[in-house]
Amino acid sequence: MFTQFFGSYLLNKKIVSAANLRVALEKKDTTRVKLGVLAINAGYMTAKQVDAVHKKQATVDKRIGDIAVEMGYLTEAQVEELLSSQKTGCLLLGQALVDMGCLTNEEFETVLNDYKNENGLTDNDFSNEDNEKTENVISSFFAIEGEYKDYCSEYVNVLFKNLIRFVGDDFTPLQSAVTDDKDIAVIQELCGDFNAVSAITADNKAATAFASRFAEEEVADIDYAKDVVSEFLNLSNGLYNVNISETTGKEIGLNPQETTTASAVNGIKAKFTLTIPVEFTFGTVVFTLAVI
Amino acid sequence: MEKDISKAKVLVCDDSMMVRNKMKKLLTAYGFTQIFEANDGAQAVEKFADIIPDITFMDIVMPELSGVEALKLIKTNSPDAVVIMATSVGTVGNLSEAIKLGANDFLQKPVDEEQLDKLLDNYFKKEA
Repeated sequence: MFTQFFGSYLLNKKIVSAANLRVALEKKDTTRVKLGVLAINAGYMTAKQVDAVHKKQATVDKRIGDIAVEMGYLTEAQVEELLSSQKTGCLLLGQALVDMGCLTNEEFETVLNDYKNENGLTDNDFSNEDNEKTENVISSFFAIEGEYKDYCSEYVNVLFKNLIRFVGDDFTPLQSAVTDDKDIAVIQELCGDFNAVSAITADNKAATAFASRFAEEEVADIDYAKDVVSEFLNLSNGLYNVNISETTGKEIGLNPQETTTASAVNGIKAKFTLTIPVEFTFGTVVFTLAVI
Repeated sequence: MEKDISKAKVLVCDDSMMVRNKMKKLLTAYGFTQIFEANDGAQAVEKFADIIPDITFMDIVMPELSGVEALKLIKTNSPDAVVIMATSVGTVGNLSEAIKLGANDFLQKPVDEEQLDKLLDNYFKKEA
């Protein structure tokens, strides 16, 4: 999930444009992470050293790793370690942006280190996502505070895991979005110790694309798309309920989902409203959790 | 007791058309030919009484009557009915209530083929 928030970080800092980020997200699964990016991420080499190795490689017929060892930047053991290390989503996204010419190695080094430092993340966190750290990143990104902080950050945590699992990981969370002009809206009430209304709104194009991925079939009919999106909401809320029940012993009831309008979602009178716009490569889908 | 699948009737109760479609596909692949659907809890009770299915898959969160309420009515009239709860809300509370009311088993949504086939193998035999 840190990959998705890394994308948001790049957007918010205006380091990449939304259009370039979308292309990089589409490309990342076929991108091969090069030794230079791995070495920068591990802190074994600086971007300047990586650039020097690349420059040298243009003049000799040798592998990057061998040149880095010859130049004294890496040991052979470090080369082996880097080549066998896990290529996390952040690195794939970063490499895709470097390959596209949107970032230099030096810019990648700076931005990756800033992102890690600002969120208190280590390399290990990228490959073993810890729930507490994930929820800290979520709370800080969406400015979730107060009485319902734990319930809300857990909600986003479960939602994003379900998006990655059932829809795709090519998305970026945004901090604001206009929801009034969305074509479809589905809602579901959560009731019990925690009372809330959850919703998904999207325009027809994003709704049908989202539905096609979740249903694993081409969905063109908008009514069927509403049914599928609504089932995603129910599934995600159900799994959230299971998580809450396992961690706190408390159960939250779910009412059946209903179709409504985006303006009705915006009009919900709530103690706290969390709007979670998610920019997929096919369009924006907005998730809402209104604590009532 | 294992039943012959070629003669078996199955009822799928879920308010989502997508889920019913997916279940129909999986059940057809398993060998069922008589598959019936209900899109809310009240319809589930009604269709059950009409069809008397050999096995029923029941969602929990549904309009009109919840899956648990529908299960209660079905089991009151037909204590031997085989009802499998198929839901994403597999909390201890929901499951223990369903088991208390006589649910035979539980499937976590989204239901996958392997999970479904394994469960069906406990109730049906396929022709050699």
